[in-house]
Amino acid sequence: MSWVEAASLKELGRRRRKLVVVGDQQIALFLVGETVYALRDVCVHKQRSLSKGTILHGRIICPGHQWSFDPATGRAEGQDPCQPTYQVRVEDDAVYVDPRPLVAEESR
Amino acid sequence: MIRSVIVVGGGQAAAVAVRTLRRRGYDGSVLLVSEEHLPPYQRPPLSKEYLAGEEDWESLCLLPESWCADNDVELRLNTRVTAVRGREVEPASGARLTADALLVATGGRPRRLPGVEGERVRYLRTVADSDRLRGDLRPGARVVVVGGGFVGSEVASTARSLGAEVTVLECLPVPLQRALGPEMGGVCAALQRAGGVDLRTGVTVTGYAESGDVAAVRTGEGRVVEGDVVVVGVGMLPNVEALHGFELDDGVLVDEYCRTSVPGVYAAGDVARHHHPLFGRAVRVEHFDHASAHGMAAAKSILGQGTPYTSPHWFWSDQFGRNLQYTGHADEWDEIVVRGEVEEFDFIAFYLRKGVLQAAFAMDRGGDVAVARQLVSARAVPDPGFLRDEDADLTELL
Repeated sequence: MSWVEAASLKELGRRRRKLVVVGDQQIALFLVGETVYALRDVCVHKQRSLSKGTILHGRIICPGHQWSFDPATGRAEGQDPCQPTYQVRVEDDAVYVDPRPLVAEESR
Repeated sequence: MIRSVIVVGGGQAAAVAVRTLRRRGYDGSVLLVSEEHLPPYQRPPLSKEYLAGEEDWESLCLLPESWCADNDVELRLNTRVTAVRGREVEPASGARLTADALLVATGGRPRRLPGVEGERVRYLRTVADSDRLRGDLRPGARVVVVGGGFVGSEVASTARSLGAEVTVLECLPVPLQRALGPEMGGVCAALQRAGGVDLRTGVTVTGYAESGDVAAVRTGEGRVVEGDVVVVGVGMLPNVEALHGFELDDGVLVDEYCRTSVPGVYAAGDVARHHHPLFGRAVRVEHFDHASAHGMAAAKSILGQGTPYTSPHWFWSDQFGRNLQYTGHADEWDEIVVRGEVEEFDFIAFYLRKGVLQAAFAMDRGGDVAVARQLVSARAVPDPGFLRDEDADLTELL
């Protein structure tokens, strides 16, 4: 494991989303309810920035073309491609990310 | 019990309907009859990424052969349907076809400008149209676009990105006026001009001539605009000519379950003017997202699993480096409330009528549009001061 401190919970408090750079990875952090999720920032569909999107009913909505992602798996509703995700750990006020992307099996 | 379905048409609504039938476990026969020689494909990239040569055919294709084989779906391509009577379909050649349920998803075709015909005139609807136009969009080429709607604006943007010189002729005072109204159409005019387009508004086209390498468009003011190629994007006409015995009114009329006036025959997508409970009347729109959702709704209705189609419409356009999005439907409004910076092309505009949110239009604010879409659906009456406030979280209004 290679946990990297990426942000503080406080930074996520106001807008509930934040773009961070960890190593060579552009990562979008989202605070959904009490849980922090990390997804690759660049949308798998048309390269828009997920951190400029919104959280709606517990899902991440890409600002480009309204693809709707499950923040835990990166799966997109009604679409084949899958958004890479990252493991997240929160300790006290610090958000740690493991910058090795995870890709769920492609849905059909 | 439905055991056979015929889909007439081969676009987005048709493809999504077919996929939905199979996804929902329908195991009867499915036959799709399309006039095009290609299987169904996505059209939005034809004026953008595909036209620019950034995407290939495979990325557009919605029903690849292998999927059809695996899912026992028969595609009958290159087949024009000359008549639909009841649940009976007459192809231009071959035997009549019938099924337990029929879906009409015949889409539309570009509206032609009378008198504007020739070797240098282009319309855009199909992959073949896009392939042909791409060859014209070379650096330094002079491109005249007639019509400042979405197709015209996107072609203008793509042509500029490929180094062409572009003149857009629009008959209304601003581009996209019918969709967005004068105020936001004006913002789009500024965006086009900032992108290097010679945009001329309030200009009608009264004549056209070609001589040698030159295409010459004559305008109502008596001027002549010359170019190497002329792209006409002046809207589309729904393909209803083959339908006999159906209630028609700028499209085929359907209820909120996609049912036409003929029992057992459904319609979806660009061709269908649908009763929309949220707007309280029948509307016909030509959006990708609507075609998908409507095709899905029709398939569910065919399977007896229908629910009223009430989704507020949503569409996007990518042009001049900006992502434009619109949700809802506003013919009339008494206030437009803006959050963000119009001059920076970074904002969302809310269309209010008697306080009720009718629609929203945004540049580079798709996240906010997702929320606005829900607010439109809920017939929300948001506080204008809250809408305007950049620091206020829109999701709090849900």
